[in-house]
Amino acid sequence: MTFFPSSSVFFQVVINGILLGCMYGIAAIGLSLIFGTMRIIFLAQGAVMILAAYCIYWLVTLTPIDPLFGFLLILPVFLGFGWLMYKGFFQRVAKAGENPSLLLAFGLMVLLQQLMSMIWTADVRAVKTTYAMSSIPLGDINISISRLIVAVVALIATGLVFLFLKKTMLGKAVRGASEDMGTAALLGISPIRVSAATFAIGIALAGVAGVATCITYPFDPYFGFLFSLKALIAVAFGGLGSVGGALLGGIILGLLESLSAYLISPGWADAVAYAAFLLILILRPEGLLGRRTIEKA
Amino acid sequence: MAKHLLEIENVDIFYGDAQAIWDVSFHVDKKKIIALVGANGAGKSTLLQAISSVVHPTKGEIRFDGKSLVNLKPEDVVTLGISHVPEGRRLFSQLTVLENLELGAYPANTRPYLKESLERAFDLFPVLKDRIHQHAGTLSGGEQQMLAIARALMARPVLLMFDEPSLGLSPIFVSRLFETIQTLNEDGMTILLVEQNVHQTLEIADYAYVLQTGTLKMEGQPEKLLSDSAFQHAFLGMIG
Repeated sequence: MTFFPSSSVFFQVVINGILLGCMYGIAAIGLSLIFGTMRIIFLAQGAVMILAAYCIYWLVTLTPIDPLFGFLLILPVFLGFGWLMYKGFFQRVAKAGENPSLLLAFGLMVLLQQLMSMIWTADVRAVKTTYAMSSIPLGDINISISRLIVAVVALIATGLVFLFLKKTMLGKAVRGASEDMGTAALLGISPIRVSAATFAIGIALAGVAGVATCITYPFDPYFGFLFSLKALIAVAFGGLGSVGGALLGGIILGLLESLSAYLISPGWADAVAYAAFLLILILRPEGLLGRRTIEKA
Repeated sequence: MAKHLLEIENVDIFYGDAQAIWDVSFHVDKKKIIALVGANGAGKSTLLQAISSVVHPTKGEIRFDGKSLVNLKPEDVVTLGISHVPEGRRLFSQLTVLENLELGAYPANTRPYLKESLERAFDLFPVLKDRIHQHAGTLSGGEQQMLAIARALMARPVLLMFDEPSLGLSPIFVSRLFETIQTLNEDGMTILLVEQNVHQTLEIADYAYVLQTGTLKMEGQPEKLLSDSAFQHAFLGMIG
């Protein structure tokens, strides 16, 4: 270990990277699902995350409820929120093609940012938990409890989405429609229904990622855009259309950031992440784990 | 009760400003094999897409069992009993054989029969049963065509439409494909077959319509068409 003073420091950096990456991963799964059926990068993903973070901020400030229950609360609320958002805005706009949907997502992001700064001001907020500072010692290294919670939630969320896509008829329809919407429609699968379902799930995952954010980081209304970008990079790493790939892409990104922050300097973490993003797009546009699209006979 | 199972009346279809179909009328009767033949770009696929409501005619009427299809969505047409095997098979290549078949039975009115329909599909194409958990993209061309047909049958159609099913298949598979179509027809299925493979199509068809650059040029029983010199000249490469 030439670069690390000891192997325990190395493991500490790696574990922090994995835990950070899990958070990117949850957001990336949502982004990848929405891209699958709607063919747009949902730019407002980060703003939706921060909205969930503020909801938890209120919950914790106004009630004695622990932010952990926020996961259970946010999931159904944001599922409904996502469904309404699709029905109210995107369903109509989607008919006009992908670019109007992309613009709508951008507008939605700005709207949410402004609304949040009106309601909660642009000040940086943090959700205080009793376990914010505690960690589990594991030999020489410490694992932050809040980050561990985030990792566990990320794995559960990934598992649930995976089960939905593999085991339910609607989930299989979502996968089929992501591959070929036109053929799915010929089989009786309503494009509106699968799009609404994936959108709702994508928004719910953004909500879950938001809860995860607020127990690990301070945030302000504009913090989310950075997260949208990070989720996009994670998707590019993992390759579109794979749930496991999106989570793994997030973890790779987290590792990259955490290692470069330690080895170079914290200021370089983002630069390294974006540079890797560019390299991936140039050298392996289908993602590290993505399949090359095979021409069908 | 309608006179014909499927009626297409004076249909015009545009892609943007370009007119693809000019005043075409034809009909399909129950339990028949009806062929639409013609060169590439004649508008055969467009007509199938209009029946499936993927494209909508600007003029004319399309009725199935007396019910107009013109203002429906593709996902509603299949629930009425029309299945469409699209050109190029269009399987979900990253889904397994079983998942492709399951999605074939997606409509609420066919889902309760999923198990029964699966058994029937495997009776018809036993090889699919051996490949049940394989990704559809890993199948051979012939197997993919079987899966595409089996998937369309999962919706328990009354009318089965094929768009260029023999395209890209080896001669042995093409013969088997036409045998399969005949078997399905003998079991009571109405077939609307779009093909460029005129010879083999006319061997099994009860009646054929000939399209040329978006208009209906000829129609008739296969024997009649095969003896028509204009038809021979245009499609069979004979100088009449």
